[in-house]
Amino acid sequence: MKHAEGTDDRAEQSLRRADLMARLQRGDAEACRALLNDIGPSVRAFLRRRIAGAEDLDDVYQEVLLGLYEARHSYQPGRPLEPWLFAIARNIAIDYSRRRWSRARWEELSAEPPEAIAETSPEPQPDLQEALASLPKVQREAFTMLKLDGLSLDHAAARAGTSVGAMKLRAHRAYKALRDLIGGGK
Amino acid sequence: MTVRHPITPEQRHSAIVDHIVADLRPVRPRLSVGLRLALWLIVDLIVAAWVTAHSRADLSSMLHRPDYLLELLFFGGAATLAAHLALRSAVPGLALSKGETGLTLTLALAGIWLLTRVPIKPDYPLDTFVRTGLPCAFGTTLFATAPWIGLAWAVARNAPLRGFISGMLVGGGAMLFSFAVMRVECPVDEPLHLFTWHVAPAVLLIMVSTFIGGWLLRFRPSLKLTPAHS
Repeated sequence: MKHAEGTDDRAEQSLRRADLMARLQRGDAEACRALLNDIGPSVRAFLRRRIAGAEDLDDVYQEVLLGLYEARHSYQPGRPLEPWLFAIARNIAIDYSRRRWSRARWEELSAEPPEAIAETSPEPQPDLQEALASLPKVQREAFTMLKLDGLSLDHAAARAGTSVGAMKLRAHRAYKALRDLIGGGK
Repeated sequence: MTVRHPITPEQRHSAIVDHIVADLRPVRPRLSVGLRLALWLIVDLIVAAWVTAHSRADLSSMLHRPDYLLELLFFGGAATLAAHLALRSAVPGLALSKGETGLTLTLALAGIWLLTRVPIKPDYPLDTFVRTGLPCAFGTTLFATAPWIGLAWAVARNAPLRGFISGMLVGGGAMLFSFAVMRVECPVDEPLHLFTWHVAPAVLLIMVSTFIGGWLLRFRPSLKLTPAHS
């Protein structure tokens, strides 16, 4: 009996959400707010099973809500909302994990600390601060944010007002220049 | 779109909702999969009608042969099913039916199997082989262009989440259709010619379409946001 009631509740909830989504497509702000408030906890619970870490979860949650909004034209009125909703949420979560993995790989590959190079070199080495000061401003900023402040690429790029790709390039050039300066071009 | 950094998840949620509501514009839901498929078939029919008007001289006699008719039916059916799957793949949450996918593959393979009913001519002179083949490879590409563009456009206007699969299905639909049309246009039934100048370019172009799909068709949300924690 309880099971049947639960099924009825879910069916009713699904119908209500589908109706709110159709109204959202027509530009109804009240329906939009009601729908996002209604699906918010379900989306968060869904993402919690896929994303580790509160900070990442918050970022992905934002991306999912914005992604759902941006893909609203692709929802076909009259169909259940949940398969559409969770397909998009799953896709964004997978994308995020993939981006994070490749970023971690890149950071791991480029993690050769200039200090280590300096320690193993037999020649007298210039001070890191001095070497940093000789870099162009954008490269210095990239190195400082990523290696000294410990920011992620996304955060550093957002703070510098540039793309992740450009930030990678700046950091790569900074590492190369520092390696040349500290390691004597070896 | 920039989202500030409220402290609690609830406040953060409210901030996102406020931004979305502020940006809210009405949108027209996309046409249903069936209707878009019907529109795509109209494009195909126009191409097919043009090709039939410029087709092989023996077409009327060939149309009395059941194996030839079956071949056209198989490739045409597989093209329609592949296009249907491509359009479904662009709607989040719509699963690709295993039965429909299996039927598409079965029809395409059965059509290819029927191509082998004519014996191979081993004494084909190379220059004749190339001279008669190149226009067929070109035709296979040409007749797939309008169906490919139409289908890719219809898919991209939705929200395809798996770009490579959508690209492969778009390529499959367009190339299978083009293949069927080329069987009407080209008077050569010899298998070596068909496999080299019809099947091989079609397979190559499906591969190209797969990569284009992963690169261009895939839905990527473009609204910018600042990370929740910085």
